[in-house]
Amino acid sequence: MTRSVSAKALGRSTGTERTLTVLIGLVALLGGVAVLVLGAGWLGTYRGRRPLADPIALDWLSQNALAARIGAIVLGVLLLWLGLWWFFRSLRPEGRPDLELDDDLVVTSSAISEAVRLDAETIDGVGRARVRAVGDSENPALRITLWLTEGTDLKRVWEQLDLTVLARARESLGVAVLPTAVRLELDTAAPQRVR
Amino acid sequence: MRLFVRLLSALIGLALAAAGVLLALEVGWGWWRPGRGPLFLPWDAWRDRLAELTWGGSSVRLAAIVAGVVGLLLILAAASAGRRAIRLTDPANEVSVTTSPRSLARLVGVTVRAQDNVAGAKVTASAKKIRVRAISRMETEGQLRPRLLETVSGLLDEVPLVRRPKVSVVVDSPKDRR
Repeated sequence: MTRSVSAKALGRSTGTERTLTVLIGLVALLGGVAVLVLGAGWLGTYRGRRPLADPIALDWLSQNALAARIGAIVLGVLLLWLGLWWFFRSLRPEGRPDLELDDDLVVTSSAISEAVRLDAETIDGVGRARVRAVGDSENPALRITLWLTEGTDLKRVWEQLDLTVLARARESLGVAVLPTAVRLELDTAAPQRVR
Repeated sequence: MRLFVRLLSALIGLALAAAGVLLALEVGWGWWRPGRGPLFLPWDAWRDRLAELTWGGSSVRLAAIVAGVVGLLLILAAASAGRRAIRLTDPANEVSVTTSPRSLARLVGVTVRAQDNVAGAKVTASAKKIRVRAISRMETEGQLRPRLLETVSGLLDEVPLVRRPKVSVVVDSPKDRR
């Protein structure tokens, strides 16, 4: 199932990071269990008493020294490549793409963010708003976080948002569809003074 | 948790890269200059130590247990780093709306506390379930619970949620204890 651009813009994806972390966790868990099983003698009483650097294995390695060395170097290079890719992928910053409307008309991400933010804050019940462009230049999207004051009708804000703010943004940019992710947060009421 | 898993994942990646570099360099060095000893890591001392240890040894067993526990913790951390946001229905094409569990719980809490004879309430919410624990001094659970269920369900009708969470209400009342 492919998620729409706006659904992806709701938050940064951690899917790859989580999958890789689960895989490493599984390797550690299964490796630990395997060593315990081996040590307990379930795979043969004498196998559990053999040393970790088994002479049989070491002999085999020295007989196939060329293959073992090439294999170890290739494995090392692959690990380096995988590790660096993984490291930079985990720490990659979230992009702030500009919107390219035409060949020679580019709206910078800060310009559109500021305009939509000021518009969104005029909705009744919205205390403050934060807007930023997310995604990449192929699939840019807006992420809007709205903090609603207590007692605000959630449904009305939800309706107003598309009818006024987003419609105006689409109109001024001249696009039919503007992928947008909206996060609504309810603020606690500011302490009220007795009148 | 999501940030934690992101940082953890970056650290694991860095560790893998370092292990790969050291492996390739040590093997390459040993191949190019045999008999000159190790380059960075004292791996020949490690090999002698490993030849002394057996699979059933207590230190090996301890290391295996530690590795297994660390692996389990990694799996749990990664599994609990999912999205918790609650989806609202899309008001238009390519517009997605969510709210946080905390916000939904606040919304329900404000409504429940505004009811008559409710002294206080604790609410927790997720996309699947809303739990309300109300305290009342005037009414018993039997009297108050149906009313609160109806109130919360009426409130949920007003919020355009994609999936309607189940609602459970517990009323804590001193009148029930008599």
